[in-house]
Amino acid sequence: MIYLTRRAQRTMKHTSALLAALLLLAATPSASALDGTLVIEAGKIVTLTGEVIEGGKIVIVDGRITAIGADVAVPWDADHLDATDLIAYPGFIEAITSSGMDRPNENVDVAPFLDVRDSIDPVNVYFEDALRSGVTTLNIQQGSACVVGARGHVVKPIGRTVEEMSIRPRAGIVLSATPKRGKSRATQAQALRGAFDGLRRYLEGVVADTKAGNDYAKREAMYQGREPDEESSKGRKLECSGWDVEGLKLVPRWELDDKQAPLVSLVEGRIPAFIYCGGAMDVRVAIEVAEANGFLHKTTLVLSGDSDRAVDLIAERGLPVILTGALTRSEIDEETDELEDIFLPEIYAEAGVRFALRSNNATTESLAYQAARCVAHGMSREDALRAISITPAEIIGVAKRVGSLAVGMDGNVVLYTGDPFSVDGVVQRVIIEGEEVYDRATDSRVRHLEQGEAPDNTEPNDPESSEDGESGDGESGDGEEGDGEEGDDEKEG
Amino acid sequence: MISSLSLFALSLAPATTLCSAAVPTEHAAERLVIFAERAFTQPGEVVENATIIVEDGKITSVRGGTLAGDADLRAACVTAGLVDMSFRYSRHQNTVEQSAEITAAARITPMLDLHARGWERALRQGITTVAVFPVDRNVVGGQGAVLKTGGEATLEARLLRADAFLRGAMGSEPSSGNRSSGARPANFYARRPTTRMGVEWEWRKAFYDAWQAEQRGEEPDANQAELLRALSGETPVFIQAWATQDIRTAVFFAEEMAAEGMGTMRLIIDAGAEAWREPDLLVRSKAAVCLPPLPAAGRTTERAFMSMNTAAKLHAAGVPVALSAHGNSGSGNTLAEQVFYARRGGLPFDAALAAVTTVPATLLGVSDRVGTIADGRDADLVLWNGTPFELTSRPVGVVLNGVTLIGGETD
Repeated sequence: MIYLTRRAQRTMKHTSALLAALLLLAATPSASALDGTLVIEAGKIVTLTGEVIEGGKIVIVDGRITAIGADVAVPWDADHLDATDLIAYPGFIEAITSSGMDRPNENVDVAPFLDVRDSIDPVNVYFEDALRSGVTTLNIQQGSACVVGARGHVVKPIGRTVEEMSIRPRAGIVLSATPKRGKSRATQAQALRGAFDGLRRYLEGVVADTKAGNDYAKREAMYQGREPDEESSKGRKLECSGWDVEGLKLVPRWELDDKQAPLVSLVEGRIPAFIYCGGAMDVRVAIEVAEANGFLHKTTLVLSGDSDRAVDLIAERGLPVILTGALTRSEIDEETDELEDIFLPEIYAEAGVRFALRSNNATTESLAYQAARCVAHGMSREDALRAISITPAEIIGVAKRVGSLAVGMDGNVVLYTGDPFSVDGVVQRVIIEGEEVYDRATDSRVRHLEQGEAPDNTEPNDPESSEDGESGDGESGDGEEGDGEEGDDEKEG
Repeated sequence: MISSLSLFALSLAPATTLCSAAVPTEHAAERLVIFAERAFTQPGEVVENATIIVEDGKITSVRGGTLAGDADLRAACVTAGLVDMSFRYSRHQNTVEQSAEITAAARITPMLDLHARGWERALRQGITTVAVFPVDRNVVGGQGAVLKTGGEATLEARLLRADAFLRGAMGSEPSSGNRSSGARPANFYARRPTTRMGVEWEWRKAFYDAWQAEQRGEEPDANQAELLRALSGETPVFIQAWATQDIRTAVFFAEEMAAEGMGTMRLIIDAGAEAWREPDLLVRSKAAVCLPPLPAAGRTTERAFMSMNTAAKLHAAGVPVALSAHGNSGSGNTLAEQVFYARRGGLPFDAALAAVTTVPATLLGVSDRVGTIADGRDADLVLWNGTPFELTSRPVGVVLNGVTLIGGETD
């Protein structure tokens, strides 16, 4: 850090102010609030928190919504976006995903010192697909093949660098109660408990060293290149409701090892935890570990398999959940040999569990698709929409910025051609923090996926050109369309 | 016959779980009155406030207007039972006889497991009639059959039409896994085609041999008899061809047979993902197309690219289009969802309804029994809780041969 700062200072001295400003901008995460005023005039505005506004305006100043309503004052210098034939929704929110990274999992069992920001690929086609399906906020976390995973990052699907994409860095840690490949359930559970036993032993060791007058931790910290700031130069008592390490106050926080510090944040309840559960029996382990280590109140369960069998336990602890995979689970009654389809969101809704939905892909199983299926199974539109907007925003801790259209929120607006749940409703334009970042009219990938046009950056593939060549040459069909499409599926197992 | 269909009773399951009832009834309902706010009786025709009367498994009356008396079943909308002409009831089935490249006389029926779960899963999606056939590891697999998906689990009860079409495949699938003999002694596997052109050569050779045998006045063998039936247009030829090159091969093969004066085949392309590239070719050859499920990012089997407007484009060109889920019943992959995607791609509602009812029923030669809601048709009906094929609605009840097999929301 100091290296960067000194370098920046040197740069300030020796180069133009413009270049310095650019460097500063790049170094400041999430400071992309745009200068300027945009007024969107929409045929209908679905705010999700307030009333539906027929024919209204959304005023966005410097990236934030400053006014919204049927009859609001419009600044004289505002840019105007005519969307009177479109319906405005807040952008939808992907509650958790491991897409958009070069690979979803790290093979080290306990790796909270890693950060997905190093793995996020801003030009991954996944982010383009997210925009195309109306998603403007994504919680990117490591996949489930871990014990304790990397730190996650909440991003918007736009920007050339992770810093430009960033909404919230270090946004939680993933844990998995589901056995990682090669582990049994017992060893997975033990490894999960062991990660926190290890943390505790480490902290006790540091305290003992400090009490004995040794400065190993400090020297290690200096060797690792860390420097104290005002807060971290002091020691603090461990604020963990699960257990305590006596004397931790003696150890200045900056001396704590980078490999362990994120877990300290976790047990002190400073960052959210996302715990993967592949089935009901994992839920018990997840709750036990979270409770024993004091972060149950910051825990969201990421569920798949037959986890719905543990719905009472989840409801009792008041935990929110993210539903992954198929919304329907088929069960065969062993005695009657009958097939029963269980619609999972309904199980959680009935038990009073807050849940967020997650998309599986942008084309056929988008967030709007998942919510629409809930409506097909009798849920209200409001509740279904909540599960892809407000609830995930709350779960990932950004509800004050995104998830609904209201004054003070980020200026994220998705303009649909119709009801997003219906055949007619597709994303026409997307505005993120007051800047138009997507227009269907100029989207070549939509023309590719929906109309079969050859994608950009590939050889033209015009059937007319080989119309009368009966040999079929030039129509090999192999490898002529763009690549990168295979990367859409998540590989978490 | 209907009273012997006693597998399921009308279920009182919660509206949101399609749960077939546990206790078999002794006597299935002989008469059933169904009321729907809208009945999509056939493509282009909607009857408002429709009362449909079913007697002995057949539809005997469809009428709009107010309901006189009580209805046994009520729903927001009703359509005819859906037809999937490229069905697989199990993902793991290996239904092709691989002892020869051409097994035209092989019949799928003896190997069907009617107790497999796939049938009921299809029924729950609203699919009441399916075509099954040997898929697709040799060149000409054999005879396909048309069956109902529910009712008593016997072939006698479910079979709608045996030997409905000749099934085969172009492309790489029939030759995948094969190898040339090299220096080794020729063995069984080495005998089979190893390339696309080898596959096509097997087609041509088999048909020429059958035709020449007939010309010479020889008695055709069982395989040849089936090939001649196909060549004469008596049975359709249902050819799997995903990619453009394979669709071309199939079309040119049929055209070659016609040009040689050997006969005019009725060609149906199955899984024609890339049929959108050259609809004119299909119009010219009067071929119909059955489309595979829409993939998430365009790519299907054989690396063929299928865009969302494929069905719309073929329909606009005048090609008969059927849609298929290939037996998938999972999230995002059901037949009803295929209709949704095809409509998103621009296919008009009526054509979309036709693509899962009348078009496949006609292609399979069973349109006098299924595919529409009309007097005298089999009482195969899907009850929907909203507009059919929207994501916000789903089948809440399925009636097959006049018996309520799934759900039945009786508001």
